[in-house]
Amino acid sequence: MPAVSRGDGMRGLSVFIADIRNCKSKEAESKRINKELANIRSKFKGDKTIDGYSKKKYVCKLLFIFLLGHDIDFGHMEAVNLLSSNKYTEKQIGYLFISVLVSSNSDLIKLIIQNIKNDISSPNPIHVNLALHCIANIGSPEMAEAFAPEIPKLLVSPDTINIVKQSAALCLLRLLRTAPNCLAPGEWSSRVIHLLNDQHMGVVTAATSLIHSLAQLNPDEYRGCVSLAVSRFSRIVTSTYTDLQDYTYYFVPAPWLSVKLLRLLQCYPVPQEPAIKGRLVECLDVILNKCMEPPKSKKVQHSNAKNAVLFEAISLIIHMDSDPNLLVRACNQLGSFLQHRETNLRYLALESMCMLAGSEFSAEAVKKHRETVINALKTERDVSVRQRAVDLLYAMCDKTNSEEIVAEMLAYLELADYAIREEMVLKVAILAEKYASDYRWYVDTILQLIKVAGDYVSEEVWHRVIQIVINRDDAQGYAAKTVFENLQAPACHENMVKVGGYILGEFGNLIAGDPRSSPLVQFDLLHSKFHLCTPSTRALLLSAYIKFINLFPEIKKNIQDVLNNNNQLRNADVELQQRALEYLKLSSIASQDVLATVLEEMPPFPERESSILAKLKKKKPSSASVIEKEKKEDSPSNTKAASPPPQVSVPKQNEAVDLLGLGSPAPAEKQSSFLVDVFGNQAATEPPVLDTNIPNDDSLPQDLPFSDDCQALAMDGDFEQATYPFDSSGMCDETMSPDDTSVDLFICKHNGVLFENDVIQIGVKSEYREHLGRVGLFYGNKTPSQLLDFRTSISLPSETEGKINIAVGKEAPSIVEGGAQVQQMVNIECLSDFAECPIITISYQSGSQQTIRLKLPVLLNKFFQPAEMDSQVFFARWKALGKPEQECQKIFPASHPMDSESSKAKILGFGMSVLPNIDPNPGNFVSAGVLKLKTAQIGCLLRLEPNKQSNMYRMTLRSSNENAAKSLVALLFEQF
Amino acid sequence: MIGGLFLYNHKGEVLISRIYRDDIGRNACDAFRVNVIHARQQVRSPVTNIARTSFFHTKRGNIWLCAVTKQNVNAAMVFEFLLKMVDVMQSYFGKINEENIKNNFVLIYELLDEVLDFGYPQKTDTGILKTFITQQGIKTQSKEETTQITSQVTGQIGWRREGIKYRRNELFLDVLESVNLLMSPQGQVLSAHVAGRVIMKSYLSGMPECKFGMNDKLVIDKSARSADDGSRRTAGHNTSGKPSIAIDDCTFHQCVKLSKFESERSISFIPADGEFELMRYRTTKDISLPFRVIPLVRDIGRSKMEVKVVVKSNFKPTLLAQKIEIRIPTPLNTSGVQVLCMKGKAKYKSSDNAIVWKMKRMAGMKESQISAEIELLPTSDKKKWSRPPISMNFEVPFAPSGLKVRYLKVFEHKLNYNDHDVIKWVRYIGRSGLYETRC
Repeated sequence: MPAVSRGDGMRGLSVFIADIRNCKSKEAESKRINKELANIRSKFKGDKTIDGYSKKKYVCKLLFIFLLGHDIDFGHMEAVNLLSSNKYTEKQIGYLFISVLVSSNSDLIKLIIQNIKNDISSPNPIHVNLALHCIANIGSPEMAEAFAPEIPKLLVSPDTINIVKQSAALCLLRLLRTAPNCLAPGEWSSRVIHLLNDQHMGVVTAATSLIHSLAQLNPDEYRGCVSLAVSRFSRIVTSTYTDLQDYTYYFVPAPWLSVKLLRLLQCYPVPQEPAIKGRLVECLDVILNKCMEPPKSKKVQHSNAKNAVLFEAISLIIHMDSDPNLLVRACNQLGSFLQHRETNLRYLALESMCMLAGSEFSAEAVKKHRETVINALKTERDVSVRQRAVDLLYAMCDKTNSEEIVAEMLAYLELADYAIREEMVLKVAILAEKYASDYRWYVDTILQLIKVAGDYVSEEVWHRVIQIVINRDDAQGYAAKTVFENLQAPACHENMVKVGGYILGEFGNLIAGDPRSSPLVQFDLLHSKFHLCTPSTRALLLSAYIKFINLFPEIKKNIQDVLNNNNQLRNADVELQQRALEYLKLSSIASQDVLATVLEEMPPFPERESSILAKLKKKKPSSASVIEKEKKEDSPSNTKAASPPPQVSVPKQNEAVDLLGLGSPAPAEKQSSFLVDVFGNQAATEPPVLDTNIPNDDSLPQDLPFSDDCQALAMDGDFEQATYPFDSSGMCDETMSPDDTSVDLFICKHNGVLFENDVIQIGVKSEYREHLGRVGLFYGNKTPSQLLDFRTSISLPSETEGKINIAVGKEAPSIVEGGAQVQQMVNIECLSDFAECPIITISYQSGSQQTIRLKLPVLLNKFFQPAEMDSQVFFARWKALGKPEQECQKIFPASHPMDSESSKAKILGFGMSVLPNIDPNPGNFVSAGVLKLKTAQIGCLLRLEPNKQSNMYRMTLRSSNENAAKSLVALLFEQF
Repeated sequence: MIGGLFLYNHKGEVLISRIYRDDIGRNACDAFRVNVIHARQQVRSPVTNIARTSFFHTKRGNIWLCAVTKQNVNAAMVFEFLLKMVDVMQSYFGKINEENIKNNFVLIYELLDEVLDFGYPQKTDTGILKTFITQQGIKTQSKEETTQITSQVTGQIGWRREGIKYRRNELFLDVLESVNLLMSPQGQVLSAHVAGRVIMKSYLSGMPECKFGMNDKLVIDKSARSADDGSRRTAGHNTSGKPSIAIDDCTFHQCVKLSKFESERSISFIPADGEFELMRYRTTKDISLPFRVIPLVRDIGRSKMEVKVVVKSNFKPTLLAQKIEIRIPTPLNTSGVQVLCMKGKAKYKSSDNAIVWKMKRMAGMKESQISAEIELLPTSDKKKWSRPPISMNFEVPFAPSGLKVRYLKVFEHKLNYNDHDVIKWVRYIGRSGLYETRC
């Protein structure tokens, strides 16, 4: 063949490339390329046949042109032809072109797959390898589909040679990553793990990567690899480096394989068999020992490889978390790295130590390095390392060393990088709170924190201080004294003013005895900061002033002067204006008794999870988890400090939200409208009916002391008139009492028309998921004229109050155009079982003022989730609910025709399952369901026995909650 | 104002770097090289803004000229200056290429010192610059000479020195026009305009005053109106029935007295010595298109295409067009081309993806045609070929805009020669600009 004599040099290609490189300009280059493309096109013209050599050459040129950034839209066929050549170079170029250029949706893909299949089954291992590389390079889902069954066979076949096995393993790994579901588990999977025992280290290395991925996908199936991995690992570790001649890298035996094996072992828990475990521990021991030895080489590669294995081994030790000896040794080893020259090593050591600190065995050992870590914080040049050091300090902190660590962190905070300050502030705040044995220390620390890094102290932090101070009687006096002292500094941060204002407003009387902090001094001090603050702080200070009036009647005059000042009364900020005006009136009109009640000291807050921790978690999930773990252990001591929730009326839904209710987005929104807030948020959305019986659970912090203000104010008649723009008294001429009939329609369905008269139609669409529900209300104006003054509000009957939460999504517009429909979303959260529906009041002006009161079809059964069970389980549970109060039975005549299909539909619509084949009598219905409420899950079992002769039903419902059983039966029996 | 000026070769190496203002740092030339010359994607905008610094560039052959500024300058002014600078360099050492720039770099720095002062453009007229920046070494000038140069350069008529004497008073006028056209396949004119220049070469003694007249509609209408006592006449034809043209806009050399042009529409001036561009203009109406291209493209299946192009010349049969070249683009998957033409030579140029058909000359009112068979290679790409237009190049000995020089009168009061003694030459050359027909 002529091609042989010409060799593989491909002179034409090198000439072409040289031409391109010599081009002086882009234009010249593109001209040369156009010329070459035309030449290749004329060569590839259908009627001509060209030999393999030229084909290869031209395909190569095309590839080169493509890599220069030009589009290639021909030559694919020729490349595919090259695949069927027997010559290595031609095949190789063909595969190269295909893996670079052929898109997966090309028509040629079938042809290519066929060619690859031929090569995979070819006896020549080189061809097999080329095909495998091509599959891996393309790695498309199509490839995975076509070859996923083939490659495992190749991998475990005894006939394949090592290099092919190696490629097959890596190819399979690639396919696994594109299409994790492509591999059907077969008998090969058990044989794959035996590749760990292969003679050839290359195969083992490739197979370990594959098994690691497989084990992550499907841990149980590859459990057997643990023992094999351990034994392979021990063979590597115990060998001297001369044994693994080709796989020793700078005197470290097979470092990559070791790291991979250690990673693999981290997928599984500690092996149970003592022999395997012992061997593993021994190996880890050896690795730790080896680190003690002097380095065999000064080269950096040697230490890198050695340390890579070591760190992975330490990860495994941490993962196992069972051997105190190993953990402590690992810790000591890491400790020696803490002062290493290499920045990377220091970083890694700190990071690993952070993990070690979480383990009960090594926590003590980690603490020994406190000095070093603190030193690192001060002297380290690299910011990322310093950050790790902070993390570690946070992780190693406990009761014994908290004061020192917090002090160190506070000291460092002044110099810390801006990027990590906020996080550090949170950490300091958490540590101070968590390990505070003495609340004086806690108060000092947080105030110091605000002083040092006031800008980075988030709302949560200072809210928390106030919460704790209010809840702790013993800290109040000290706190008042300290904030007073801190406020005396000429320049203090606004957050300090906030804390100061709040605490002095509450507990200023505790330090008033001292002439240095007499009431007037306190007031003047606070007021000297007033002008430098933002409106929200000023609002808080105004609240503090009115509290002062209660605490120190002797300075009432001064305070009234301040409130009476035009700066306040005519302030551009409407919130400040309103506060000033109201407080002034309150102080002048209300009697001392009323004042004392209104401005009473804040009751303690219910104990909740610290909002700061929640915030840190959001910021850095990893580091917070460390503390979380410890917190569980500590929890008994923590709860000791907590007082039981004293405010029964505070609904529990706010538990997740922070103490001051700021964590949830909704109140943040309200922040913009203080005006509404003062009277409680509900006032804006509902007529004042509710105001007296619903506590202001989610008002802003600065309003909290006054949450009961509004009640007091509401008593004051003329004040109420002035401040409520709308009043429900004596304006309506039509009032409908809530009627039950329309609600009954909704027991078994979610959507429908709730109410209709000749003016308005009210539709309901609802959906429920677990304890949450969403109800869309559609108000349709049926008249051609406008409905003016359109208002809706939702209230809860006293029975239901506190059992469900209702939030109205958006106010309905005040005008509904003729023929138009407006919608309103209502979100419902069910806390516990209830019987009465919420009541919606709709009022509008259409000729005359009309008011409609309706029951909103929010029923207990909406929170049902059907449950499936077989007869055994059912009867077991039925019997378990055997107490008389757990059962509710009703025998009643049928009000509808007795049809089993419609009955079944009704039960399903009610939200319970219908379980067939449980009751011996096929005519009876047996159902089960779970009421998903926020606070509880109530299981319910139902048995409905129709008696066709007497046209009667007997309905028996058993439930873990007797109230629920009663309400449910009451709801359901009317349907039959 | 211009902060600095750089010249680069095609590789982006700096050949000339002159910085006029302190706000331009040394690294500015690197920024341009990295972001424009070596940009991954070809930068097509002539103005590039990098880090609050504006770079204005133009390319001549392989040479990049780039002006830099940090201020908000008039971009048109900067480009006018750059082009002027190109003209100046060309008149000093011919073609602008790397070698010439390297050989003349002292001269170039000298020129750059003169044409820009603290970034403000100064005199850019070659004729004047040549009076004091010469290429023959350093020549000690006598005191009179230097004072003369100073007074001339700073005087009222900076473009002409006193005491010029010629044995033969002669002047040449060249009307150079380039005609641009875009035509639909059906022969509808989509857009057409002519950009023209009047170049004057004067060899006149003394300080002559010249008056230039052409068949500008405004001027002719005005004179006709005054002559005919305001009797109305059809636009486009004057009393003698000669056609006049509507000039859309024009600019003049600095020697033209603009005040006179404003008031009387008469172009009078004291010409610079030697060659200069008297005016530049643009017209869009009543253009006589010298050629008409009629394409006929037919697809035969997926693998073949037939192209036939007819060219008709559309001017007086006595005139001869020259250097005719027609480019017919071919599809990107062309694998072979057979061409057949009756006149001239045609060839498939694969490097340009086009068939190039050349004819040395062609008389007016003639017609010629070419037919080609293009073989195509089936491709995997479904993308349709965008069919670029057929473009044409030519040169004709008339002005396609219809501009005619009516007179050029020369008055020299001090010396004893008058208009009749001056030998005058007028030449019209029409060239193709972007002359395209869609197919």
